[in-house]
Amino acid sequence: MEAPGGASPLTPALVGRLRQKHEQVVTSCQEKIQHWKKVESDYEALQERLRTLPDKLSYDVMVPFGPLAFMPGKLVHTNEVTVLLGDNWFSKCSAKQAVELVEHRKKHVRKALDDLQKVMKNFESRAEFTEELEKMSDAAGDFVDIREKIEDDSIGTKGRYRTAHKPHSKPKISNVFEVDFPVNGNDTKSVGHFQSEEELWARLEELERQEMLLGELDRMPDTVETNGEDAGFSEEQKEDKRTDLNGTYRAEDSVARGNFHKEVTNSDLFGGHLNGSTYYHSDDEDDTDIGDNSVPTIFFSHTVEPKRVRINTGKNTTLKFSEKKEEAKRKRKNSSGNGHATPELPNIKTPADIYRVFVDVVNGEYVPRKSILKSRSRENSVCSDTSEKSAAEFDDRQGVQRSISYDEATQSDNSEGVLEEEEGQQLLLEKLPSSSGTTKAFSGTVVEKEPLSPSLIPHPVVALRVMPTILEWKSEEVLSEASEEPPRRISKFKAARMQQPS
Amino acid sequence: MAFMTVLLIALYLSVIVKENGNTCHLCHASFDFQIKEQKVVVDELSNLKKNRKVYKQQPNSNIFFLVDRTEMLSQCKNTLDELKKAHQEMENSEKTKIKK
Repeated sequence: MEAPGGASPLTPALVGRLRQKHEQVVTSCQEKIQHWKKVESDYEALQERLRTLPDKLSYDVMVPFGPLAFMPGKLVHTNEVTVLLGDNWFSKCSAKQAVELVEHRKKHVRKALDDLQKVMKNFESRAEFTEELEKMSDAAGDFVDIREKIEDDSIGTKGRYRTAHKPHSKPKISNVFEVDFPVNGNDTKSVGHFQSEEELWARLEELERQEMLLGELDRMPDTVETNGEDAGFSEEQKEDKRTDLNGTYRAEDSVARGNFHKEVTNSDLFGGHLNGSTYYHSDDEDDTDIGDNSVPTIFFSHTVEPKRVRINTGKNTTLKFSEKKEEAKRKRKNSSGNGHATPELPNIKTPADIYRVFVDVVNGEYVPRKSILKSRSRENSVCSDTSEKSAAEFDDRQGVQRSISYDEATQSDNSEGVLEEEEGQQLLLEKLPSSSGTTKAFSGTVVEKEPLSPSLIPHPVVALRVMPTILEWKSEEVLSEASEEPPRRISKFKAARMQQPS
Repeated sequence: MAFMTVLLIALYLSVIVKENGNTCHLCHASFDFQIKEQKVVVDELSNLKKNRKVYKQQPNSNIFFLVDRTEMLSQCKNTLDELKKAHQEMENSEKTKIKK
């Protein structure tokens, strides 16, 4: 009404003026109504007179003689009336006809009166409303105007993350790669800007060489062992990456391809290893084992890729949860990969890792039976939950891991593991150090073959049955798998042995 | 002349009374005024000599019709009563409103 466009707020002055105008209209309506009522009453009087006029033949009247004087007179022809039609035209008619004419005019007058009444009511209500509006617009009033300005920036920061995801679900990958390059080499930050593939390739090869020089050769044996397993999931990763990349970003796509090709070549250099990629990643982690946050994130995103796609397409709300899961997944993979390549550092990041290593050792050496009993029921469920890759990985991995993990376990136990473990495990630990404290690597094998005597077995079994299982499943599902699978592989003869006591 | 003035006043008052009776839109003060006027008219008419003529003005015009004095007096008394009644009703209604 009063504020066009709604830009200007309601000021009390404006509202007051509006109210004044409304009240003016109301008063003018009242005046008009008064006027029309007078007219109506005049017509009524006239009508009355006209009705009674023909009753007599003549009336004694005072005839006005100018404005101030009167003359006595007689009114005759009482049934003849001249009616003013308008514009100084008159018609002669009887008193009865005159009454009808008056009635007709009265109708018109009544209609005008009704209209005026309506208008008056309308404007009275409006005036009331404006009065309320005045109160509302008043600063001391109870009503406040709440306005929020929407800034595009805030939407961009928050919404971009989601909106970019939703439709394509691949931009995330772009981020991953952006993060990835700086990790591979500090110089490669500029890689994203390279347009031609040749440049990229050259650059990547150079980086590969650098990495090789930096000490990848040291881990050669590890990688050789692990290559078999890693090939499985790394190839899967590769496929995921490629598909994703092809979907969205060209530049990054080219980069990614270059990266993979390079990796292949790299593997060739190493001599018959199929995949450089897994080796590559593990290497990164090893280099930046503890302090590097960027490395885990990279890995996280890689492993997450397929899952994230699914999540993004489906529901945003589940993102957090899924990320947690994926993180667990990632940890598992890392543990598997690292277990082969570099046993010590990456695994011991968390107490859970320590525990995992420890359990592996225990299973391998002492009590595969315990873990098997647990695992068979739960392992399957875990595998199904996490992913298909894991199943294939573990079989291969465990074989390798066993040999390595013995060393790890002994080392870790001596260094930090014992305090963090629970009581039941401590029992086991106490048994271990006796043998492992002096010769760590050796202890694993020796113990494995040695005892398994009925006296030793029951304790760990009892202790571990309850506590570690809980720990495992709470901390990481994957770990339990890792711990539980090795026994199967390790000990066919052991298994037979274990079955006997159980 | 005196007779003429009395007559004119009477007619004017009658007009007002009629208007008031029809519309009932006059406020409290105007009621008092009308009642006063009507009292005057009644008083004048009652004090007139019997041979005097009384003329009543046709409303919204300048013509005066000759009317019977006694008839006019009774009519004016009636209107005065009506006015008083209406006035009382108005006062009562106002009192009830205040009580509420």
